[in-house]
Amino acid sequence: MTAKTHKRSFGRKLWLQRGLILMSVPLLLHRILFSYVPLAGWTIAFQDFRPRFGLSPIQQILQNEFVGLDNFKRLLDGASIIGERFLLSVRNTIGQSLLTLVLGYVCAITLSLLLNEITKSIPKKIIQNILYLPHFLSWVIVAGLASTALAMPGSGGIINEILMSVGILKEPIHFLANPNSFWNVVAGTHLWKTLGWNTIIYLAAMTTIDPTLYEAAAIDGANRYQKMWHVTLPCIRPTIIILLIMSTGWLLTSGFEIQWFLGNGLNVTHSENIDIFVLRYGIEMNNFGLATAAGIFRTGVSIFLLTMVNFIAGRLGQEKLF
Amino acid sequence: MRKSSKILALLLVAAMFISAACTTGTDSGAAPQESGGGPVVLSPDNPVTIPIWFTSGQMAPAPDNKISALLKERLGVTLEYDITTPDLQDQRIGVMLAGGNLPDILGPTDINARMVNGGALLRLDDYLDSGDYPNLAAHVEPYRKKLSWTGGGVEDGLYIFPNYNRFYGDPPLLSGDYMGTGFFIQKAVLEHFGYPDLENMTLERYFGFIEDYMAEFPEIDGQQTIGFTFPAFDGREWGLTNPPNFLAGNPNNGGVIIADDGTATIYANSQYAYDYFKFLNEAYAKGLVDPESFTQTLDQYEAKIATGRVLGMHDQRWSFGNANDSLVQQGKDERTYVATMPVFEGKEPWYADFDVMNINQGLGISASAENPELLLTFLDTLLSEEWQIILSWGIEGEDYLVDENGMYYRTPEQRTNADSITWRQSNRLEALFDIMPKRQGTLSNGNALERQAQPIEFFGRLSEYDKNFLEQYGKQTWRDFVNDPPENPVYYPAWQIQLPDGSDAQVAQAQLDDAAIQYLPLAIMADPADFDAKWKDYTDAIDRIDVAALEAVFTAGVQERMATWGE
Repeated sequence: MTAKTHKRSFGRKLWLQRGLILMSVPLLLHRILFSYVPLAGWTIAFQDFRPRFGLSPIQQILQNEFVGLDNFKRLLDGASIIGERFLLSVRNTIGQSLLTLVLGYVCAITLSLLLNEITKSIPKKIIQNILYLPHFLSWVIVAGLASTALAMPGSGGIINEILMSVGILKEPIHFLANPNSFWNVVAGTHLWKTLGWNTIIYLAAMTTIDPTLYEAAAIDGANRYQKMWHVTLPCIRPTIIILLIMSTGWLLTSGFEIQWFLGNGLNVTHSENIDIFVLRYGIEMNNFGLATAAGIFRTGVSIFLLTMVNFIAGRLGQEKLF
Repeated sequence: MRKSSKILALLLVAAMFISAACTTGTDSGAAPQESGGGPVVLSPDNPVTIPIWFTSGQMAPAPDNKISALLKERLGVTLEYDITTPDLQDQRIGVMLAGGNLPDILGPTDINARMVNGGALLRLDDYLDSGDYPNLAAHVEPYRKKLSWTGGGVEDGLYIFPNYNRFYGDPPLLSGDYMGTGFFIQKAVLEHFGYPDLENMTLERYFGFIEDYMAEFPEIDGQQTIGFTFPAFDGREWGLTNPPNFLAGNPNNGGVIIADDGTATIYANSQYAYDYFKFLNEAYAKGLVDPESFTQTLDQYEAKIATGRVLGMHDQRWSFGNANDSLVQQGKDERTYVATMPVFEGKEPWYADFDVMNINQGLGISASAENPELLLTFLDTLLSEEWQIILSWGIEGEDYLVDENGMYYRTPEQRTNADSITWRQSNRLEALFDIMPKRQGTLSNGNALERQAQPIEFFGRLSEYDKNFLEQYGKQTWRDFVNDPPENPVYYPAWQIQLPDGSDAQVAQAQLDDAAIQYLPLAIMADPADFDAKWKDYTDAIDRIDVAALEAVFTAGVQERMATWGE
């Protein structure tokens, strides 16, 4: 195909799809307006910014003093208390996210495989509905439930009560006073809330698998587990990989409500993540410069991670996102 | 098909532009009626809608509220409420300043006065001096100097009318309830030990009562007895950190102790603090301190107290008000609390102080308001005794009665009504009254403005148990259990001194709080043999913080107040 015909066919394609393109214009405008225009606000990160009433956004930025990279230096200076705290919050964010990610993936895929094996439609629907329910609760409610469930037995700590009544524990465990268990708490609450919902996409992928593959496997003498392992899993692999790549973009976001409501002085070394740090040392202190700098840091690292993982996936001959 | 998609796309674009236009177009200020100076007359013939924003823990009134209806009927005023809860205030103020779209009346309770120094409020001095607003002018006159803003950013002057503790009457009628700080102890414990003398209280005696009572009653109503707890969650860390200051006989200045010359010193790592936390550590080892003290949320803390199985707390009385109300409703009067005031040897208790006016908190007028005269006239009218009585007591005959001596009182039914949140939503403007300037104390007709300060109301509501309890101690009210407050020092209280945004002092303050909630629990819960090592971790953490910057700001603030308010 020559360049000329290619060009013509592109123009023709454009003309043929003009309806679709027109339809995408509002979304594009929405993207530009709400995702790119606000990037102008990043200038705040290089300022000692104080909002003042009665000024336009541009005047707001002009009236404040530029301080160069000071905000970034404060954040990343591990020798100072603030820097130490920020780096700790980065560590916690990544730790919480990774644990949530790994646990969430393994469990969601396993559960989808199991659900896929249920052939009777009514029990399957009932089970699925029950599994989806927690997804519709707001995080604030989940945090409240978790905080009560993890408390001591006298305050409604149902987890301790159950573990003690079946004899696994003799003394109640004070979960929220133990910093080392906090990442588990985050991963556990995420699992409880999102597990059922996350199976939807895998189940959808499984419905597209060609039934003849199963028939062929059966003729070859494969049992149920072998069919799951050798047919279902390889067929949904592209979905799994694309979702994994997309998730790496969210590694520096590990949620807010659980950490905010369940965090306390005793577990702060493992509970404070970037969002909490930004709220406490940025927004609550009216220090928007520091808060924005932390946000830019997060965006930068996220884009880097996403690109790297996407590149590696391509190199390994797997599906790529872009 | 293709046609309809085009139409849809066009509609979407149109909708976007319309919504974008709307956000800049809605600026519903008070309808200007007589612009340019002079008093404004509020009347139902000239209805106005006034947008008002403020910070309060109270909810906006129900749409059918009868006082709202009265405001409209008599003054023609409809208020458009926008209420932010205290925990979200910092974020909201930043957005409001940067966004530049402000309601006409603003009521921040922000100790850092960001609305004032951010230029969002109108300077009120010229209006007050005009003589058109006699109630407001008389309200602030004796305290003009104290209330005036001198923190920079805008011209010095008065920007906010304080919402609490401007008292009328000599002496003002005060509530018989004590709402301040103390080491609270259950009445049942004191009753059990034969109403022991509470003078010369020490930590040893206070925890002694708790220990002995716990030994005899390991369970209360079927649940495990809890000896001692306190709030330590975000925003109320003082439940954990303040005791050393009170034990040392100082009034509440926040995190610092102020010397006579005005020098501020933090006490977080002082000998007083060491002594208190060492004591608490030993009490913890004996099982007297609730291990959940450091992890509980406000809800869990209140729920725990409301079961009646907590024997003692260090807290401020208002802070566990809901739990206290719940105990009363359950008829467990013996499980409610009185304040005790333990001190270290040789110290005099100074737990109770003279209620101080809160500066930089209350109502002000937006700098962008189109008709400040109208807004000030409205506030001035609400500050008249007539409206103050309506806002506090309600409507005569309906919500309260007047006896032959002209004193206000309520029937038991009227009191029960007022206990119900739903009733109050429809019959009181609690949120507005919370943020408004008030004539606290005694009204000119001899009644108290606040219902709970009216003697007949206080004594009329006492249960038989409480009457007997007070009698055993030979006291009249709960206030009699605390010290007689000495006169406040000129600068008092230092916690009102603001730490400038972005300053080292502000960061140091946050880091001190962080260090306290991180290291103190570890020290308290440690094996008593390890206490000193854990305590050193805490003081080491404090040594890394720029405490000098914090102390310098407090010292400068206190000394400036001593110099300018001192005469």
